[in-house]
Amino acid sequence: MGCPGASGPGPRAWVLRLLLGLAAWRGGAGGRSPVCGCCPGPARNGSSVASYCRAHPALELRGRCCVGPEPGAIVGLDLGNCSLTLLCAGFPDASAAVVIDLTENPLENIPNASFQGFTRLQSISLPLALECPGGSMAWDRITTHSDSRTCQGQRNPCNSSGELAWLCPENSLCSPDGPGLVQCLCSGSYHGYKCLREGTFPMLLFYGILGAVTTTLSLLAWGTQRRKAKAS
Amino acid sequence: MAMPRILQRQPANRSLVSHCTHHHIAVFLLTFFSYSLLHASRKTFSNVKVSISSQWTPSYLNTTALELQPYELWNSSHLFPNAEDATLFLGTLDTIFLFSYAVGLFVSGIVGDRLNLRWVLSFGMCSSALVEFAFGTLTEWLHFYNKWFYCCLWVVNGLLQSTGWPCVVAIMGNWFGKAGRGFVFGLWSACASVGNILGAFLASCVLQYGYEYAFLVTASVQFAGGIIVFFGLLISPKEVGLPELGDEQDGSAEEDANKPLISNNEEDEDDQNYSIQAPDTINQPKPIGFFQACCLPGVLLYSLAYACLKLVNYSFFFWLPFYLSNNFGWKEAEADQLSIWYDVGGIIGGTIQGLISDMLQKRAPVLVISLLLAVGSLFGYSRSPNSKPINAFIMAITGFFIGGPSNMISSAISADLGRQELVKGNSEALATVTGIVDGTGSIGAAVGQYLVSLIQDNLGWMWVFYFFILMTSSTILFISPLLVREIRLLLHERHLRMRTG
Repeated sequence: MGCPGASGPGPRAWVLRLLLGLAAWRGGAGGRSPVCGCCPGPARNGSSVASYCRAHPALELRGRCCVGPEPGAIVGLDLGNCSLTLLCAGFPDASAAVVIDLTENPLENIPNASFQGFTRLQSISLPLALECPGGSMAWDRITTHSDSRTCQGQRNPCNSSGELAWLCPENSLCSPDGPGLVQCLCSGSYHGYKCLREGTFPMLLFYGILGAVTTTLSLLAWGTQRRKAKAS
Repeated sequence: MAMPRILQRQPANRSLVSHCTHHHIAVFLLTFFSYSLLHASRKTFSNVKVSISSQWTPSYLNTTALELQPYELWNSSHLFPNAEDATLFLGTLDTIFLFSYAVGLFVSGIVGDRLNLRWVLSFGMCSSALVEFAFGTLTEWLHFYNKWFYCCLWVVNGLLQSTGWPCVVAIMGNWFGKAGRGFVFGLWSACASVGNILGAFLASCVLQYGYEYAFLVTASVQFAGGIIVFFGLLISPKEVGLPELGDEQDGSAEEDANKPLISNNEEDEDDQNYSIQAPDTINQPKPIGFFQACCLPGVLLYSLAYACLKLVNYSFFFWLPFYLSNNFGWKEAEADQLSIWYDVGGIIGGTIQGLISDMLQKRAPVLVISLLLAVGSLFGYSRSPNSKPINAFIMAITGFFIGGPSNMISSAISADLGRQELVKGNSEALATVTGIVDGTGSIGAAVGQYLVSLIQDNLGWMWVFYFFILMTSSTILFISPLLVREIRLLLHERHLRMRTG
């Protein structure tokens, strides 16, 4: 999200977030994002999301979400037993989530790109039929239960030396972008499309010098050459 | 008040004075650098091609499954699907530019002779700078990428850039007489090469900030040059009350007859400024028509000769680095640097050959001898061994024999043709003739770029050189009628001198 080269969300993203927030407030839904109301009822009592939320006093449960301490930040999302075959439309809103529960859903396949930007995700529980997002290489621990699978400890794919040795183009560095996902961000003072630009052009200095030189030379040339010229 | 003094001294040693005043130096430098700046901005375009094509294309990945993220940063630009298509388009822009430049040359020569040369030159530099700014900087700042818009801008740029050459040659022709013209113009034709070096330098300095700044800097400098030209350039010795040049020796009588008129004007002007227009319009020569200019003796033949020669010369300009890296496997940067030797040879060749032609007072024989040697050096260069010093040496020699005559035709000879006896005194033909010669040459160059790539693709580099040899021979063929005439004149003069002496 955001403009090329800018780190963090750009203005467009903020506007979007504001609108979403307004919509949630008007509707009086349990959470601030539609994803929290994507499935009726509160978070299930025994779910990992609920226990995580109770363990941290600054957080509170709203609808299916565990929200806090920054306003609107979704830290946990419990979509267990929601009869989902596809992820909810507002799922990317939960990209700051640490804990996600998707168990007991007839989910068939989740594209890897759905978790793009979920860099803080530390624990996700899925129906047993599904593999961990980003593959088993993207997680430290994978535990399987009778009908679910829990993937814990997201690895940084940029550090792995194995098959996922990411090569970013010149002037950019690898940066994690969710489970098994990476992005290439401009390094150092590089910026702009494809990180082709470095530093900022000294506009004031250049035009100052050029202006001064032009004025001097014009005056000099006029004084020595054209002053005595006949108008023609 | 110093003027009348100069005027009085004028008839005594005109040739000496005409080579000494600071006006001549100022005119030489101003025209030199104004054309350098025009050429620098063209060079900038060819030097930032890599950056532009990567700005226009999404990231290239050999594995399609892995797409670089974030999308906006790596893949949001889709003007062209890949770098090859972008390169092709940039080559098309080059061709478009050359053609519109050629057409523009025909027009702007005529315009230059009818309007004030200084205004036309200054307008051309400033407006072309604005177009380059729009092409390279504005579109990037606004993220507005459109093929047709680029094409249109480059057509306009070609037309505007074409005002430069006819005007600067005409102004130089006004100031420097035929006597030393070959040498002075030979030295002066280095402006294109200096412009190339300047453009490459400016572009490489600011390319790190983004290609748009390379355009911004060269366009700004060119704009500034246009302003300086507007305030400082004297288009003719007349403007400061110096007498106009009498080109041919036998024209001096007519020149003297004009003298009182000019000095009268001068005194008038000192007292009352508003009365300038009246004597000026009387004194203003009537400009010559396009077809009249074409029919001047030598213009058509030299134009055709220059079309063939500029084809070879520009092919070296555009294709030499590519040939070197392609044929010998040398690195692109090294090949770029090495190809400077061709320019160096051309500058030295133009100066020395100009000097010889001044002493001989005939230009065609020098051209023909040089071009005959050029055929030999082309043959030698096509068989150059894979060694950089040897290659650079033969390249410089080839430049000497091809670039030299090319520079001479486009500058000194154009000035000769535009100021010959037939048009002197009653008409202004200098810029028109220069435009015709250089315009025909540029058409040749534009067609040549296409032919060279075609021949190289289908038949290989060796045939490209055979093509160059053929074109050089055609140049000799077109010059030969003039050679015969000039040799006859030379013999006739010698005959007369022997009789009188």
